[in-house]
Amino acid sequence: MSKIYNAIFAAGITFVLACLMIGVKLNTEGTTLTVSGASGEQWSWIVGGIVLVFLAQLFADRIDTLFGKLPKPKIGALLPAEEKRATLKPWLLAALIVGLLVWPFMVSRGAVDLATLTLIYIMLGLGLNIVVGLAGLLDLGFVAFYAVGAYTYALLSQYFGLSFWACLPIAAGLAATFGFILGFPVLRLRGDYLAIVTLGFGEIIRILLNNWTALTGGPNGISGIEKPTLFGLEFTRRAKEEGNVPFHEWMGIDYSSSYKVIFLYLIAVILMLFVVYVINRLTRMPIGRAWEALREDEIACRSLGLNRTIIKLSAFTLGASTAGFAGAFFAARQGFISPESFIFIESAIILAIVVLGGMGSQIGVILAAIVMTILPELAREFSEYRMLLFGLLMVVMMRWRPQGLVPMKRPHLELNQ
Amino acid sequence: MTETSLYLIQQLINGLTIGSTYALIAIGYTMVYGIIGMINFAHGEIYMIGSYVTFIVIAGLMSMGLVSLPIVLLIALIIAIITSSTYGWTVERVAYRPLRGSNRLIALISAIGMSIFLQNFVVLSQGSRDVALPPQISGGWTFGDPSVFEVSFSYMQLLIWLATFLTMAGLTLFISKSRMGRACRACSEDLGMTNLLGINTNKIISMTFVIGAALAAIAGLLLGLYYGVVNPFVGFMAGLKAFTAAVLGGIGSIPGAMLGGLILGVTEALTSAYFPSEYKDVVAFSLLVLILLFRPSGLLGKPEVEKV
Amino acid sequence: MKTLKTTLKAVALAVMGTAAMAQADTLKIGIAGPATGPVAQYGDMQKIGAMMAIEQINKAGGVNGMELEGVIYDDACDPKQAVAVANKIVNDGIQHVIGHLCSSSTEPASDIYEEEGVLMITAASTSPTITEKGHQLIFRTIGLDSLQGPFAASYIINSVKPQRMAIIHDKQQYGEGLATSVKNEVEKAGIKPVMFEGVTAGDKDFSALIAKLKKENVDFVYYGGYHPELGLILRQSKEKGFGAKFMGPEGVGNPDISKIAGEASEGLLVTLPQSFDQDPENQKLVAAFKAKGEDPTGPFVFPAYSALQVMTDSMKATGSVSPDELAEYMRGNAFDTTTGKLEFDAKGDLKQFSFVVYNWHADGSKTAVK
Repeated sequence: MSKIYNAIFAAGITFVLACLMIGVKLNTEGTTLTVSGASGEQWSWIVGGIVLVFLAQLFADRIDTLFGKLPKPKIGALLPAEEKRATLKPWLLAALIVGLLVWPFMVSRGAVDLATLTLIYIMLGLGLNIVVGLAGLLDLGFVAFYAVGAYTYALLSQYFGLSFWACLPIAAGLAATFGFILGFPVLRLRGDYLAIVTLGFGEIIRILLNNWTALTGGPNGISGIEKPTLFGLEFTRRAKEEGNVPFHEWMGIDYSSSYKVIFLYLIAVILMLFVVYVINRLTRMPIGRAWEALREDEIACRSLGLNRTIIKLSAFTLGASTAGFAGAFFAARQGFISPESFIFIESAIILAIVVLGGMGSQIGVILAAIVMTILPELAREFSEYRMLLFGLLMVVMMRWRPQGLVPMKRPHLELNQ
Repeated sequence: MTETSLYLIQQLINGLTIGSTYALIAIGYTMVYGIIGMINFAHGEIYMIGSYVTFIVIAGLMSMGLVSLPIVLLIALIIAIITSSTYGWTVERVAYRPLRGSNRLIALISAIGMSIFLQNFVVLSQGSRDVALPPQISGGWTFGDPSVFEVSFSYMQLLIWLATFLTMAGLTLFISKSRMGRACRACSEDLGMTNLLGINTNKIISMTFVIGAALAAIAGLLLGLYYGVVNPFVGFMAGLKAFTAAVLGGIGSIPGAMLGGLILGVTEALTSAYFPSEYKDVVAFSLLVLILLFRPSGLLGKPEVEKV
Repeated sequence: MKTLKTTLKAVALAVMGTAAMAQADTLKIGIAGPATGPVAQYGDMQKIGAMMAIEQINKAGGVNGMELEGVIYDDACDPKQAVAVANKIVNDGIQHVIGHLCSSSTEPASDIYEEEGVLMITAASTSPTITEKGHQLIFRTIGLDSLQGPFAASYIINSVKPQRMAIIHDKQQYGEGLATSVKNEVEKAGIKPVMFEGVTAGDKDFSALIAKLKKENVDFVYYGGYHPELGLILRQSKEKGFGAKFMGPEGVGNPDISKIAGEASEGLLVTLPQSFDQDPENQKLVAAFKAKGEDPTGPFVFPAYSALQVMTDSMKATGSVSPDELAEYMRGNAFDTTTGKLEFDAKGDLKQFSFVVYNWHADGSKTAVK
């Protein structure tokens, strides 16, 4: 009996949710506001929804048992045994890297470009992963460091004509400095306070970039940012500077615009591999262990004599420098940047990538970045529903697999008995 | 009075009005945080839905020929509270309850997802354009010498102040005196222990979301009438500001939310008054950073005791 | 080294091979703009204008024996997505694009089109910087901010003659650019604005700003930006008893402003391109839009239509679809379109584009002032 009450209650709730917000439309006729009922079709959807909720609640246990009967796919079972994996790993990695490098020559330009964008998000995700996933510091303003990196390259290239390669370390360094300056005072704060302060910092950086028209061009942004060169070879149809030879002339082949896109992609791959390598090594070093230890139990860490300020700061600074890296590359790929590209929702997406992937897990973050950038592209046909589905996916993922796509595994050593 | 002081009074009135509305929305954040320690990121969206429902009901009743403003507003308020509360309740049930007890971040991501979902749900169902309602309550008092500077204080502003004050007072009484309020406080002290003592904590948590959403609906009605415009994106910024206010005042503390809201509102108004107004948000967020540096738990927040 | 070169060469040739396009009897035209996001309604104006043109051109027998087909791309007015869309368009082998809409999207996208040899005509992006880079294939069928600003300024100087003028903008590319241009022009004429300030786009509360304007005894405000903010500023000004005259660009000239501001929008001055839907010669077209249930009054509908006319007229005249040839023809000739006789200068901008000052009314209608 209580089941029926439950079901009636749920159906009632659905009715309240839907009747005004979907069932009635606001219009304006002239200057007065009027309402009109939704079309019959929409009402039949609403009624259908209510009936569905009613039935789902009524037979909730049966549905649950049905789902329980479905075999759950286990990732562990698909992988070869532990010992085999160890020997296979270097080969797999090598194959993967070769695949990454060769792949762009086979596919279309749009796909390569999308892959480049994905790689930027992978770098950002990996950077935030240090801060959130490993050190457990909730940062909602990560996009600020990304902006710092992007603007560093754009401004240095515009005002001083520095090349991409010279700016890359400067951008990372400057973003790290910003991370350090922000981190120093605020890392004393507790989790959620830290979240709101970093969120505020992200907004401050964006508004300053927008307001400081004399230097940053304000809302006009900076356009015509130089593309990277390969040891001085440009990827343009004609050389921009006297005496320079474009890549295709040097090679003695016809000009094709795809070269530039592929070249950018290859740079992104190399940067991404570099970031993966550095972070991978760091997590095995004492400092990386200290991050995780601090995340698990701060008080225990302090009583063991670890300096929490230095540990937190190092995580914050390293994460920021990775974002700076990604930012400089983003500016180079885009050729045009403006404050619009560095809004809060970007921070939220990067955070979603980290959590979706499984906090702390590098492979997970990489997978999640791929999912998050490719899914919206695939869902372009439903472009109206894209953001709706994006939000829904975040909720559903957290319910279904809160530990992320690939939960983190600590690197560990087993002693043979 | 001189022009400078009249001008200052006008800006304080403006600031306190914005601040009151921040405070009303901030309570939703602070109550949820106080009890289950999570940031309900979708709260701003609940406020936005409250505004939409208000507009729908007012427009509907007006077109039916009901013209008595107090009755129309009362009906709009009741329906807005019911709908918003239902949304608040459902959000908790669908997106947060299954995640309770897991990592804080998990719940936060779910909340951000819910916020994006609700915003786009309204975009799809009601369109993304601004919807405008003609002024319902107009007029007010003016004082000061018109040749120097005339200060205006509208009925609507007074209504916002009064509504905020009364809701705050009512809520404080409810929390401190009623049986339910006591249970709420017990939950915020120790959720597990409260449960063991035979209090249905799930019910208390649901109720917290319902009360927070009802306050957001009141804010939605007041702001909807005050500005006369709503679109699906208003909730996000209002939510962000209210969240800032809650943290400023000390998240988890109801008087703190009030104080934080008012400080934030006045700061914004005074910044716009004496500096280029494009720096308003920079100053507001910088103030937050500064206050947290010196009082890491906010103005009225309880300093967290570190326990092993 | 030699072997490396030859392998790379081989790979490069393979790339060229896959990129080769198939010849077909339909000619695809890319229509790029926001179909989602907060400014989707403006993207819609461009879309219905362009689609209507394609439909009618096809009805009249197509171009050089080819049918046109409009392909819609959504950039959500986000510069990052605009680059992705531009790359996708190039990738899809499309060589003729109408769009993008937002200047901040058009700017990065136009660099790609220029390099890849795609002809682009924007019907909506008004930022002057887009055509200042010496691009050959980038055109527009709408007036620039740098034309509209001085036009508004000359009206202010000659007709309004304000005592204490304030200039407010929304800190976005469009609004700030216009506001700056107006400021420079009025300063040349000796009017010194007492205030030049930005507001935050999307804000709802302007009471502090209005009190400030009131304190400065401002009697005339020029607003650079879009209708949602100005609508609220007008509405709140009326409530606070601030009675200055307001003026804004075409971004505020939208019937929605009267819905937001109500009575307060009466007497607002707006500089708009001629409303082409009022032009007697366009009435057949207006009827065609109405028959499809579409609204032809938006400011970008007719420029988008004429952009396609320019494109197809050039195709017919040159008998070619090659973007380079079309661009050359477009620079040297005049076109009869629904938005009047169009001529392009060397930069790809219209040689002249006339604006009109309108007096806005509380019911959302407008009457020309001059």
